Amino acid sequence: MKMVAAAKMRKAQERMEQARPYSNSLSEIIEHLLPDIDRESLTLLQVREIKRKAYVVVSADRGLAGAFNTNLLKIAQKEIDEFGRENVDIFCIGKKARDHFNYRNYNVLESHIDFWAEMEFENAMMIGRSVIDHFTSGSVDEIHVVYNYFTNIAQQEVKSETLLPLSYDEGDYTASDRLYEPSKKELVEVLIPRHLNIQMWKYLLESYASEQAARMLSMENATSNAQDFIKDLTLQFNKARQAAITTEMLEIVGGAEALG
Amino acid sequence: MTAYNVEIVTPIRELKFQDVSYLRCPGLDGSFGIMSNHREGIFALSVGEIKVYQDGKNEYYATGEGFAEIYNDSVKLLVESLEKSNEIDSNRAKNSLQRAKQRKTEQNSEINDARVEASLTRALNRLRVSKR
Repeated sequence: MKMVAAAKMRKAQERMEQARPYSNSLSEIIEHLLPDIDRESLTLLQVREIKRKAYVVVSADRGLAGAFNTNLLKIAQKEIDEFGRENVDIFCIGKKARDHFNYRNYNVLESHIDFWAEMEFENAMMIGRSVIDHFTSGSVDEIHVVYNYFTNIAQQEVKSETLLPLSYDEGDYTASDRLYEPSKKELVEVLIPRHLNIQMWKYLLESYASEQAARMLSMENATSNAQDFIKDLTLQFNKARQAAITTEMLEIVGGAEALG
Repeated sequence: MTAYNVEIVTPIRELKFQDVSYLRCPGLDGSFGIMSNHREGIFALSVGEIKVYQDGKNEYYATGEGFAEIYNDSVKLLVESLEKSNEIDSNRAKNSLQRAKQRKTEQNSEINDARVEASLTRALNRLRVSKR
């Protein structure tokens, strides 16, 4: 199982690498265009008074991955409870999150499960779209994502980030005589959903890589624990066997002596 | 005819073309062509077909939504999906078209109309490009 997890993790890491050029280029365009846009004019940029929040909780479909799911769900639940659970809609990704929040009667709006094995960008787009719709329709005023960030093989960190409204530096920019088609504002309008989709894709990949890394480590621990156990038990067994043999020998010797 | 370099970047892969002399992209209001020395700019792309003319040959790709960045001597396309015409599995495309059509008639309240419409457009586009 450790080997399987290791292979899957490598695959996820490769995909993370592959997604980087795309997401970097998109961020560049956004940074270039956004300072020029009036925040109020676009729904996806509007900063509203926060009355209701949505949480996207990215967990795994399966357990046996150490504290991977437990830590994540603990932090997510704590944040949700702090804000007030009746004012939070939850998008569950992975069976573990769905079961956890459904069982506790939280307000689960959507759950996406069973796609990790053949994870495609389509999945991220689908989730992205429904999350964006939920924000633009005005149902919630802020969207958070809680996921496991892949630091390295030995370390994963639960992170909670704000997905919407988009935050950016309102720094200065250099005007150029580039051509924009359609207008800058319309460009940004189509750009942001693209950006959020790739963001969602990154969250999925980070989480998947973390899950496999956590599983790899816990399976390695399980194997070495089992080996220790076997060693201890073998020793105990041998001791018991030796004791039995010794007793038997003593009895035979004792018997022989009594006869002689 | 002078040529330029084209880079097509998607979330799962990166494709590079050298010495492209003509590139046709699906803009929001219809296709547009790019030849060398085009004015710099950023253009939004819709679901459609990309044509790359290189070494006297045309290559066709089915693409998802995205952007074209045009620089002085190169072009960068950022698109959500990309499939070469001869790599498209037309059976799969037919199936997803069927599915999309079915969903449209079912009037399922859970799946929102815009999404059904979008998947229909994508399926039709892939099918069309696969016939190239």
